[in-house]
Amino acid sequence: MNPTRRTLDVRSLPCPQPVILTRKAMAEGGFAALEILVDDAAARENILKFAAWARCEVDEVATEGTVTRIVLRPATPGEAAEAAPVVHAAVGAPAGAATVLLTSDGIGSASPDLARLLMRGFLYTLTECDAPPLRIILMNAGVRLALEGSDSLDNLRTLADRGVDVIACGTCLEFYKSTEILGVGRISNMYEISEHLLSGPSVVLG
Amino acid sequence: MRLLATYPSSSSALRAEHRLKASGLAVELIPVPRQVRSNCGFCLLVDAGGSLESLRATGPDGLWRVLDPEPGTRRRRYEPYP
Repeated sequence: MNPTRRTLDVRSLPCPQPVILTRKAMAEGGFAALEILVDDAAARENILKFAAWARCEVDEVATEGTVTRIVLRPATPGEAAEAAPVVHAAVGAPAGAATVLLTSDGIGSASPDLARLLMRGFLYTLTECDAPPLRIILMNAGVRLALEGSDSLDNLRTLADRGVDVIACGTCLEFYKSTEILGVGRISNMYEISEHLLSGPSVVLG
Repeated sequence: MRLLATYPSSSSALRAEHRLKASGLAVELIPVPRQVRSNCGFCLLVDAGGSLESLRATGPDGLWRVLDPEPGTRRRRYEPYP
């Protein structure tokens, strides 16, 4: 077994877990190559998109039957000392990187139109950030941002493709009778959300 | 060709967005990039192939061509469009 190679088996995991776990592994580092086993076409594409975005080298993409093996190398080989910060800058700080909690579909409340405009602008701007947040949690009317028909849906999808964990509050989706039209991200609960908010720096907007 | 159109105010950018969307153009309302203007505001990113006239008709006070991002970053670059 090669100690400089780490294997990540993401077979049978639901989207977006494969790309999130890939991103976490690249942020942790400590290996020369990361071998990923994936059996879902969308997850495979997301991992390759992430690899291009994080400027990883793709050593191998080999499909046998339903399983694809992807081998990624963080940044430039032979420059390990320089590679680590490059990768961290590209994927966002590894441990303790920011969680963004959005509690409304707007920023501020004095004028609802202005509030929604500012939120749209904020989410677009995140897509141009070189170090986006680790996760975006949507609560209360914040879940509306991730629904089909939302002005911000494409931007949230872009972020999710890059490995940002988009989490929608299940209670809130149910309250707004919108569970069926969630267009991006996954549904979670107060336990997981609380853990994330207490596990590192959080930015709260709403 | 992607163009960025700036307007005298955010509300005029919003009005232009509604107008262009109604005529079927792909439009995105985004914060004005720092390279284009330093003050706060919103502008439009438009796929303007063949529809430059509709875009001009919304009364932008500036047009910029959208270039590829700077190497190694995700920030788009812009150059003035005549």
